[in-house]
Amino acid sequence: MRNVDRIGGLIILIFGAGYLLGATSMPSATIGDPLGHKTFPVILGGLMIFLGSSLLVKPGRDTEFSPLKRTFISVILLAGLLGGYGYSLPILGYPLGTFLFLFITSRLIGERSWILGLLLSAGLSLGIFIIFTKILDIPLPLGILKNLTQ
Amino acid sequence: MTEIFHHLAYGFGIAFIPINILYAFIGCLVGTLIGILPGIGPAGGMALLIPLTYGKEPASAIILLAGIYYGAMYGGSTTAILLNVPGEAASVVTCLDGYQMARKGLAGPALAISAIGSFIAGTIGIVFLMLIGPPMAQAALKFGPAETFSLMVFGLSTVTSLSGRSLRKGLVSMTLGLMLATVGVDLPTGLTRFTFGIPKLMEGFDVIVVAIGLFAVSEILTCTEELSVGEYVREKVSRIWLSMKDFLESMGAILRGTFLGFFIGILPGAAHVTASFLSYTLEKKFSKNPEKFGHGEIRGVAAPESANNSAACGALIPLLTLGLPASAVTAVLYGALLMVGVRPSPFLFQKHPDVVWGLIASMYIGNLMLLVLNLPLIGIWVKILSTPPRWLFPIVLAISFIGVYSVNNSPLDLLLATLLGILGYLMRKFDYPLAPVILGLVLGDLMEQALRQTLMISGGSLGIFFRSPIAITLFVSAGIVMVAPKIMYRGKVKPEIES
Repeated sequence: MRNVDRIGGLIILIFGAGYLLGATSMPSATIGDPLGHKTFPVILGGLMIFLGSSLLVKPGRDTEFSPLKRTFISVILLAGLLGGYGYSLPILGYPLGTFLFLFITSRLIGERSWILGLLLSAGLSLGIFIIFTKILDIPLPLGILKNLTQ
Repeated sequence: MTEIFHHLAYGFGIAFIPINILYAFIGCLVGTLIGILPGIGPAGGMALLIPLTYGKEPASAIILLAGIYYGAMYGGSTTAILLNVPGEAASVVTCLDGYQMARKGLAGPALAISAIGSFIAGTIGIVFLMLIGPPMAQAALKFGPAETFSLMVFGLSTVTSLSGRSLRKGLVSMTLGLMLATVGVDLPTGLTRFTFGIPKLMEGFDVIVVAIGLFAVSEILTCTEELSVGEYVREKVSRIWLSMKDFLESMGAILRGTFLGFFIGILPGAAHVTASFLSYTLEKKFSKNPEKFGHGEIRGVAAPESANNSAACGALIPLLTLGLPASAVTAVLYGALLMVGVRPSPFLFQKHPDVVWGLIASMYIGNLMLLVLNLPLIGIWVKILSTPPRWLFPIVLAISFIGVYSVNNSPLDLLLATLLGILGYLMRKFDYPLAPVILGLVLGDLMEQALRQTLMISGGSLGIFFRSPIAITLFVSAGIVMVAPKIMYRGKVKPEIES
């Protein structure tokens, strides 16, 4: 699967070039120290470009590559759910947000019983919330539920 | 010599006061919990609980906080082994072999050797602390910015053992980590780098957020994919306890990790993180079957786990003997001591012997408590493994998110963790190692600052490195670490080819 490595190398090369561009276009500092704030990033950018080209030109010998399957969909879905969960946390609050997340995700992966799904999701989200906020004193957002507790 | 025993007896006298035993216990318990839960590391956990120390005796306060420090070291490895979720940066290395052992049904032995190794390392570390603490601290003073930079370079050289088959890919990961470290406000100049106008990015990337996103989230994503294709395999737990064979095999690793960890711990820099990465590397290099590492080699768990515990002891030395905090955790301890009216200084031993010796004695006790606390729990942890994936996965994600959120109370961090999770998933697909990213992220800042300070002192001349024997030694060692395996194995063993 040498071509896979080449593609990776190309991506890395482009990324390194982008980073280097960003590094060199930073405004210069008025207060100086010999190294400056640009040198390190420039070196890193150059290194990345070098590594990327190296992989492009001479890919590795034995790369295992698991081809993207149609089940990639499930990964995208999960990532999307996770993103939504994170986005909703400040709004819905931890208990409610987690309840929804646990319920939807477990169903997505294969939970079939509605009752079990609802019960476990509710119990777990509340339980985790209480352990962390009451026992460990870690603040977690309440969101909408704030109005209920006030 | 006998003086030390007098002091120790005095210390035990303090440590055995019932209230102090209670504090030690609470500290250990809370510390273990903090270590287990991804997100809050020992420094953060200790800082959170400083309010508990108000109004207490200085010795008691320190005993409590030290218990947390210790407990966190123990706890961080649990999630690393069971779920490939590093509890804190040092546990990243434990994920490598520990999680593989768990996938093979050997979670029990992995957890056991981690607890036992930590205990042995901690005990030996405390002995070192007592006996050679003061002279070692003097030696550590010789580490100026130039030496620190070379130490960081040496630390980076460990990327070779984390790289699996392709060193170049490992270097790419490492460079990515270093790049992530450059994001944020550059302190000396006050200019922002790579923040793209997003205020949150001015703080830079937090190690914990990156570790959780890159490791935990990507792991769940990958496993979910395997699950839907029917390829998710988790072997039934074959045994819960450690076999004598496992134990004997690991003894060498434990001792080596202990020695290495202690000395790294004394030096400035991210002590227990560097210690665990380095000891993993050395263990792999000096092993007869390096190809087993990364696939469930017990020594790959024993060495770093021992190293990070003895490094914790080593890190206390500069603080106790010179009054200098050398790491984030010791900085928190420093602050806590100030708050209870004790100012750490080279005279700490003389002025507040109760604090120092009480602490040392309670560390012995704490170490024992942790061993006793952790071993029986192994059975419980292993039970947790048999939760059906459809619940285990979302729960792990939900808890990981708490960890991420607790760092800065920032929803943006959650987004970052998710994105990093996707990146980690892609990196796994393309066969790029993840650990070097953390390595680069942790060392990047320290390295750059050390280099800057060095060049400021030398006025821009690189010659300063050549005038420091320590620096030269470390650079050469770094080179050897990177190049040696190629030379040693040339013509003998081909790198493993998986069929």
